[in-house]
Amino acid sequence: MVGTPVLLVVIPLLAAFLIPLLGMIWKELVRIIPGLVLLYMFILSATLLNQVLHTGPIVEVIAGWRPPLGINLVFSPFSGFLVTLMTFIGLMVWIYSYRFKQNVDFEPAKKYFILLMMLVTGSVGIVLTGDIFNLFVFIEIVGISAYALTAFYTERNSAEAAFKYLFMGALASTFLLLAIMIIYTQLGTLNMADIASKMPEMNTTYKITALVFLLTAIGIEAEMFPLNGWAADAYTESPGPIGAAFAGIVAKAGVYAMVRIIFTMFDVDGTMQFMLYIGLITLIVAETTALRQDRLKRMLAYSSIGQMGLIMVAFGIGTAEGVFAALFLMFNHAIIKPLLFFSGSYLVYNSKDKFIHETNGMGKHIPITSILFALGAFAIVGLPPFAGFWSKLSILTAAADENMIIIIALILIVSIIELVYYLRVVNRIYFFKMAEGVEPKKPTLNALFVMVTLGVIILLVGFYPDAITGVLHKASGDLLDKTKYIQDVLLLNP
Amino acid sequence: MDMIYLIFLIFLSGAVISWLAGKVNHVLQDILFLASVIVPSVLFYMNVSVGQEVHFKAGGIDLSWGITDFGWIFSLIVLGLGVLAAIYSVGFMKGKERRGYFYFNYVLSIMSMLGILFSKDFVSFFIFWEIMTWSSYLMVIYNGKHTQSIGIKYFIFSAIGAYAMLMAIVISHSVTGNFMIADLITAYPVLSFNLQLLIPILLLVGFGVKAALMPLHVWAPGAYSNSPMAYTSVFSGALSKMGVYGLSIVMLSMISHLPEGFWFREVLAWMGAITAAIGTLWAVKQDDAKKLLAYSSVAQLGYIVTGIAIGTELSILAGLFLAVMHAIFKSTLFMAVGAIERQTGTTNFTEVTGLIRKMPWTFLASLMSIIALAGIPPLGGFVGKWMLYESLITSDHYMLIILVFFSSTAAFLYCYKFLFGFFLGQEEKEWAHVKEAPVLMVIPMLVLAGLSFVLGTFPGLILKPIDAGMQALGFAPTNQHLWDTSILFNSWGNQVALQPILYAILGIFVVFTIFLTIKGYKNTRYVTTKDISSSGEVPKEHENLTFSINFFQPFMRAVEPVMRRQIDKYYNGFANGLEALFDFTRKIYTGNGQTYAIYVILFLIIMLLIKNNVFG
Repeated sequence: MVGTPVLLVVIPLLAAFLIPLLGMIWKELVRIIPGLVLLYMFILSATLLNQVLHTGPIVEVIAGWRPPLGINLVFSPFSGFLVTLMTFIGLMVWIYSYRFKQNVDFEPAKKYFILLMMLVTGSVGIVLTGDIFNLFVFIEIVGISAYALTAFYTERNSAEAAFKYLFMGALASTFLLLAIMIIYTQLGTLNMADIASKMPEMNTTYKITALVFLLTAIGIEAEMFPLNGWAADAYTESPGPIGAAFAGIVAKAGVYAMVRIIFTMFDVDGTMQFMLYIGLITLIVAETTALRQDRLKRMLAYSSIGQMGLIMVAFGIGTAEGVFAALFLMFNHAIIKPLLFFSGSYLVYNSKDKFIHETNGMGKHIPITSILFALGAFAIVGLPPFAGFWSKLSILTAAADENMIIIIALILIVSIIELVYYLRVVNRIYFFKMAEGVEPKKPTLNALFVMVTLGVIILLVGFYPDAITGVLHKASGDLLDKTKYIQDVLLLNP
Repeated sequence: MDMIYLIFLIFLSGAVISWLAGKVNHVLQDILFLASVIVPSVLFYMNVSVGQEVHFKAGGIDLSWGITDFGWIFSLIVLGLGVLAAIYSVGFMKGKERRGYFYFNYVLSIMSMLGILFSKDFVSFFIFWEIMTWSSYLMVIYNGKHTQSIGIKYFIFSAIGAYAMLMAIVISHSVTGNFMIADLITAYPVLSFNLQLLIPILLLVGFGVKAALMPLHVWAPGAYSNSPMAYTSVFSGALSKMGVYGLSIVMLSMISHLPEGFWFREVLAWMGAITAAIGTLWAVKQDDAKKLLAYSSVAQLGYIVTGIAIGTELSILAGLFLAVMHAIFKSTLFMAVGAIERQTGTTNFTEVTGLIRKMPWTFLASLMSIIALAGIPPLGGFVGKWMLYESLITSDHYMLIILVFFSSTAAFLYCYKFLFGFFLGQEEKEWAHVKEAPVLMVIPMLVLAGLSFVLGTFPGLILKPIDAGMQALGFAPTNQHLWDTSILFNSWGNQVALQPILYAILGIFVVFTIFLTIKGYKNTRYVTTKDISSSGEVPKEHENLTFSINFFQPFMRAVEPVMRRQIDKYYNGFANGLEALFDFTRKIYTGNGQTYAIYVILFLIIMLLIKNNVFG
């Protein structure tokens, strides 16, 4: 036994507070400690995941107060899978930015790693918590660190982006709090499982109003259209690895919260259709917007939003296959999009405006980064034999089983758009002449390691999808089994 | 390990290794490249028999690979051509950059095509199909020109096709519960009428793109002419045949069960014939040999599709036979153009002339292929075209035969243009230094030219396997002696009776030529190109005597109205319209924080207003 789920939240939070103190002892500790913490978290969550896949969920009670009164953490196959994924991406972000921040002063490095730790804490907390108010707290933690990270470069644009994010985040918090209030006044409980079990008793008007507020609030975090205005700016203006962290960690936490609300807590008809259609709109708007971008990171950001839309569509199908496809998409997106952000930020490293045309001819100068970007691009649009194909196949199969032919057609049409803008970039990287005065930046060893690792995972899953499908099947089964979730939490044996 | 796995493993690792080997040594790289194409091909013919299967699971999906009789015919095209073009490529790529890139994609293309033939389930079919698409895409943009126009256009059309196919695949999965192709074919006759229509249409779109069927052909001329010629011979020769392969499976094993299949067949046959006619006209117009051959490929594929679409035994036989022949002669021609391009640096008829003495072997190969293409006996094209005409007549498609006959005749124009433009005509000083292509490039061309002669003379060699393949698809049993069903051979008795007559004619011709040559040799006086007088005037040194420029101007003027409406323009207009539309949606994201906040508030208000309609 390496530890319990609660450590996944406590350790990084503690680390975040200790980093400045430890930095006084030895400055390098500021960089090293987060890595050790993330590594430990990854090992812990992987071990726990392996355990819960065989024995069933672990429900951890905080401070001896049993649910529904106390706060509890639920490490089930579903949440455990996400936590493992997030800590893995967190670890990758750390390795990537370890040397990246070496030439930065001590102060910014300290801030960067503290904020990164808090971001991970919050995101992991969102996924693990079984208490809706606790969820609110974690969303706030994520929010605060994310705003600060967006403004990390303390330039005009990043400040503006951070302000937009803050503005939207504040709205989200307000609505979330309102929804929690409504639920609490009606049901007298804040425990998710308890809410879920009492939900049928709730007055329909209140119930739906609370749901609308919740969806709006969480929709902002999960990058749902039309609430995702902040996202592109935040992705673009934050440091490169943080864009990867937003895509791989924060957005996943947002979707998790949304799914938990829709699948577990509420029993309202029509939420699935709502999710399906809003996801579809998000997908279409974001991908068409991405096609017309002239800045690389902005394009990646809109593509990321589009992928979140696709994930919502997959959840909205509502069947076991649909949920399976959604989890597969989440996994792929969490692996591939960071790769694109990592390699993409090297492609436009020395450029001020990060225009797409500044990637021209990079293939000759930084070949490994370029080929990994190309691999990521091919994978995310779902070309076989790379990882993205299997998730695309599974979402289409799930949709076909429900006779959603129009939706299949729309998804595929959007895929073509996606294909076009990614290919345009890849063509530029390899076949265009580099402009004068552009200085390619060779990736550091750490960055190469991270990118190659992610690339290998893409190939591995592409050629051998069974490496991941087993876990995904269990996780999706876990999510759909609402009764079991309620039982596990409420009928907890001390 | 099963041999089938081994073959694919060699292909896959060969692709990667022959890429990386370039860092070590170029000769080693060439050898490894050849080995990674030839070794699996040999293993395939030595050790894999029809009917042998392997099963495995990936991602919880049952997959199964095995070769059928029908796939076996196409494997001849893919691997035969693959090996020959690989040898050619080694010569072609000598001294060029990005060899590793070329070899990698080449091997992957061959692997994916063989994989398509091996796939018994839709998932592996699709995977290989897409590998084929992107590896050929990477070849199209190999030289870095027109990547954003021709390259992207090729990929968009391929993606449209592939995604249409993917849609059919997932729909069929929802019906049959698995991805087996055979299960869909079994279940097809009892499907609902809508699905009976939808699935074949989607599949036909998918295959039609690769088979360059009008109106999905617009990518083909650009893509064929833009990729390196060593690859185009495979691209046009084998890769397009994958579309034909899929098309024939759909037509033969699905549409033939459909009571309304008649209309399907008619429409497709007409599309094929129109493709042939338009493709031919455009080919005649071209001044660039690559473009000419590219349009000619489109046209030839049109015949093939027509043949398969008509759906009688003879017409399918004709279509498939033409497919094999087209693979042979068109790839030879592309190789010849590649050789000319390599030696002279251009492929424009108006620039290069009079190569016959400089590149005699290339000329010989081109000549034979042109004869085959034009459908003159005794080379391969003749038998195929004859069977096609006959099948059209016997199935009462008189209007169609006019169209096919027209395009087939018009094809003579570009055939002549090709031969004359490059090889005949006035010799110019500019090309005096040109030498014959390297032997590695010449041999594959000559082998292929020889093949088109052999198969044209003994069509039974390839008709028998085709017949076996058609029966394997569950098609009506054909006659035992296929060549008996052709009027040509019937009226002359049989094949044995015809050949002596053909060869007697040929023999007389050859003897006569030899006689003339020997007799005339003594009196020969070598003349320079300008040593003539025209209308009493002796041409000056700088005057251009070749009429390669503005070939067939009156003809082009006559058909100009047909060609004015280019479908390509409509596509471009559509694409531009879409981009403008997307530019509009992009403006939803104004970049203004207040607007975004208003979106949130509006969203909330609207949701609260309509909440009872949405959630219930």
